[in-house]
Amino acid sequence: MLSNHFTLTKRHLGLLMLVGGLVAFAAIIGIDILDVGREGGIGPAQQMALGGCLLIALVGVTLIPLGSQPA
Amino acid sequence: MTEQTLPTDTAVTSRLPLLAAHRLLMSAALVILIGYFVVYAVYAVNLMQFPFDYDQGEGFEMVDTILFSQGQSPYQDTNTYPFYSSNYPPLFHVIAAPFVWLFGEAYWYGRLLGFLGTLVCASAIGFAVYRESRHKWIAILSGLAFLASNTIYHIGPLFRQHMTMVMFETLAVVVLAHASEIEDTAKRRRTLATGLAFVLAAGYTKQLAIATAAAVFVFLFIRQPRRAVVWAVLFALVGGGIFLAINVATNGQWWLQTIAANVNDFHLDQTVGLFRLWFSLHGFLLVPAALYALYELYFSRLSIYSVWFATAVVNSVLSGKWGAGDSYFATAIAALCILSGLFAARTLNRSWTFPRNYLSRLLIDPFRRFAPALATAGLIVIPLLYLGYGRAVLHMPTEGAVFGTVANWLGLEPNANNGFYDSAGRIAGGYADIGHLTTQADTDAGWRIVERVRAVEGPVLSEEAAFNLLAGKEVITNPTQLLNLWLNGMFDSTELVGMIEDQAFGLVIMRAQFYPTDVLQAIARNYDHDETIHMNGFDYLLLVPK
Repeated sequence: MLSNHFTLTKRHLGLLMLVGGLVAFAAIIGIDILDVGREGGIGPAQQMALGGCLLIALVGVTLIPLGSQPA
Repeated sequence: MTEQTLPTDTAVTSRLPLLAAHRLLMSAALVILIGYFVVYAVYAVNLMQFPFDYDQGEGFEMVDTILFSQGQSPYQDTNTYPFYSSNYPPLFHVIAAPFVWLFGEAYWYGRLLGFLGTLVCASAIGFAVYRESRHKWIAILSGLAFLASNTIYHIGPLFRQHMTMVMFETLAVVVLAHASEIEDTAKRRRTLATGLAFVLAAGYTKQLAIATAAAVFVFLFIRQPRRAVVWAVLFALVGGGIFLAINVATNGQWWLQTIAANVNDFHLDQTVGLFRLWFSLHGFLLVPAALYALYELYFSRLSIYSVWFATAVVNSVLSGKWGAGDSYFATAIAALCILSGLFAARTLNRSWTFPRNYLSRLLIDPFRRFAPALATAGLIVIPLLYLGYGRAVLHMPTEGAVFGTVANWLGLEPNANNGFYDSAGRIAGGYADIGHLTTQADTDAGWRIVERVRAVEGPVLSEEAAFNLLAGKEVITNPTQLLNLWLNGMFDSTELVGMIEDQAFGLVIMRAQFYPTDVLQAIARNYDHDETIHMNGFDYLLLVPK
């Protein structure tokens, strides 16, 4: 990864998107768990963000089988 | 992994009528988009001749420019007289400041800069498409398509910084698109430095460019992670250093006025409405652009344009913020014009290639036998996409010798101010209610307001800056900024309300009434409505002390 010629593959990108999407999903949910005093629960903007996170993770899953093709 | 080009062989002779139809349709698309460019140029020249605020907020960008030209900071404490501060970064106003030295206080040069910025942007879009595809007609159509967008049209020639930001963003991605592949180290570094300087320029023109900064570094990271991290650190040092220097020089007002005050309420309905409108206007190019981005994601290498498109679309969600609007889609429109151009050129060049993978086996292989027919159909479908786009973005004046005749021929009825037709209608909150030409009656009305300002003793509280500037009086308050601050609990209105209670202002001029509620209440208690002057489609309320 530190090489001047290293480039991300579709698999790398897929894994990054999968992990990133899931971590972001958990973080958004975490806001409500940690900040329980907040009113309104998961609002429409949060729902959109959660949907976006899941979409990123899902796209990541579909990229993983593409293997070593450069991203 | 084996790459396969789709078979596209058909006898040239059998395609001659199709080629003729293709050329005819391409010419028609070109004529229509050039027609929109003419409308745009007429609109820009009309606005440059209009001496007052056309879009709310222009006057305050003028004030920022004047302050910079005098070596003063526009990031001021709004709790004290004259209760004024800018909420935008400085670069656009700094660029415009020399015009103040040369021509005095006027709106035309700010509008000219905005207009020229869109032309540079369109040229960069065309250049990008041509560089990747070598298809000059599609390159020209892509650039013109950008200028034909309803959104670009109506905000382009304003004294606002937004399109200058988009210009810098577009230049950045075009410069950086192939930077990672440059073998010569010195040249690569120069290219990266130039591209990132444009990103920095975009960010110091308007805060919204942060999404383009993110896109650029994501792209560079995908191509070469180590280099991306090194340049990101350098970028953060330079960008952060400038930020801290301005913040120290303004005693923290820079942070308060441009960052903290910009955390506004979010209206999901507005975002949803603007996305629907964006799709209805740009769908003919948006769908090919999205398909091209998916193609790169699954069958080729991701270009900077696809990454930029994705982040710009996500960033457009911020259009639901209070004070935001359809202008927040401008970056995404620039990106979609490039991607749709690449889609069109690849289709016409018959250069789609699909590596062997599970998706090509599932989605492409079953249709390979139709490839020649699809490639031939592309000759007709591609120009039809631009023609469809031309119909979807229909906007033009409906009055006057030329435009009136064309509007009659098209059967258009005005649906906006001053005899203007805009296919966007006014169905989505946040869609700017502008685009029409100004008239002599508007100019006359503006001067009537200026005369009222000149006629009173003492300061005048005006919701737009032009009247005070032209009357030679000090500009007091930036209403929307005061409201931003007030909504965030950062504005102490005591001194301003006190002046209103004392009837210190000889005249109050209101348009949208975007002052904080307690300021509006104080005005209502102490001032009476005296006259309403209609200008540029809006009612200006003139209030005098009770």
